[in-house]
Amino acid sequence: MLVNTILKVDARTELGKKRVSRLRKGGKVPGVLYGHGQDPLSLVFDKKEFSTLLMGGTRVVDLARGNEVEKAVIRDVQFDHLGMEILHVDFARVSADERITVDVPVDVRGISPGVTSGGILEHLLHSLHVECLASAVPERIRLRVDELQKGQSIKVKDLKLPEGVRVVNDSEAVVVHIIEPKAAVVAVPAEGGTAEPEMVAKKKPVEDKKED
Amino acid sequence: MALMPKRVKFRKSQRGKIKGNASRGNTVAYGEYGLQSLDGGWLSAEVIEAGRITASHATRGEGKLFIRIFPHKSVTSIPLETRMGKGKGEPEFWAAVVKPGMLLYELGGVSEAAAKDALAKVAYKMPFRCRFVTRLPAVG
Repeated sequence: MLVNTILKVDARTELGKKRVSRLRKGGKVPGVLYGHGQDPLSLVFDKKEFSTLLMGGTRVVDLARGNEVEKAVIRDVQFDHLGMEILHVDFARVSADERITVDVPVDVRGISPGVTSGGILEHLLHSLHVECLASAVPERIRLRVDELQKGQSIKVKDLKLPEGVRVVNDSEAVVVHIIEPKAAVVAVPAEGGTAEPEMVAKKKPVEDKKED
Repeated sequence: MALMPKRVKFRKSQRGKIKGNASRGNTVAYGEYGLQSLDGGWLSAEVIEAGRITASHATRGEGKLFIRIFPHKSVTSIPLETRMGKGKGEPEFWAAVVKPGMLLYELGGVSEAAAKDALAKVAYKMPFRCRFVTRLPAVG
C-alpha cells in the first residue's frame, strides 16, 4: 500500500467550459468533492500529482486544502475520447473508520501449466467490487495461477483476500480460467461474386376485412 | 470469410457523415491491451479480416483476440465505363464506421511485449493512425 496519499487541492472559483479548459491547458485538473451531507465543493489540483497517485493504485486520498485535510475516495475519473487526458475527477468524503465499496484491480501472476500445455488463459474479471475500511483499501488483489490446469477456473469465492475485505461480486463468478484454443477459421472465398446477407422480409399490409 | 451481417433490412445504405469522437467503445473492455484508432473512417471487412490474421500469426495462436468493430454498412459502387444516372450502384463491400478513439482490436492472455509487437503489425495494415493502449485504472 502506498504511504503518501496526500493530494494538494485548492477551492476552484473557475466554473464553466472555457475557464475549466484554460485550467486544463495549464496542467491542472478540475474536480468536485461531495458527500457526508455537506455542500459540494469545486476543486482544482495538479494533473501530474494526481496521475501518479491514480496509476499507483491509490483509491482513498487525503485532500490537503490549506491547513485542512479531508479523506476522500476517488469515485469517478473522466478521460477524453482517447483516454489520455484526465478531464474531471469526483471525490466522495469518507472517514477512516467507514466501510466503503471500491473497485480494486485483480493482478494475475505466474505461469500456469495449462498455458504451457497449449491452453489460453482468459481473464474475465479484471476488477473486483470490494467492501472494506476506507483506511485499508487494498491496492490490488494478487492472484497466482501457478497450479491452474486446462479446463480449470478460479472463482471469486476461491480468492484469498486481505483481512476485513469482502467482495461484493457474485461468489460464483469466474475470475480466470484456462480454455482450449479454438481451431483457426480458414477463409473461403464466396463463389460467384460477393455473398449477400439475407433480407428481412417486409411485412405485408394487413387487409381490412370489414363487412359493411 | 470476411465479416458481414447475417440479415439486413436494407441492402444499400447512405454514406453518412462521421461526426465527433468515439464516446463508446473507446476503452479496453475485454482483453488487457488494445489497438485504438486516432482517426475516423471506414474500415472494410477485408481489412478487419487481414488484421485478425496478422494478429493470430504474430501471437502464434497464444492469447485471445477480440474484434471490437463490425462492418454494418454496405458500400456501393457503379461499374466502370457506365454512364451516370440509372440509380444507385450495387453493394461492393461491407465496412465498419470508425470514429477517432475507437478500439479496433483487443488482446488478452499474452505478455505486454508480445501484444505490442502483434498490434504494431496489425496497425501497419490499418488505413489510419493507431496507437497501443492498456486498461484504464479501475475506479468506482
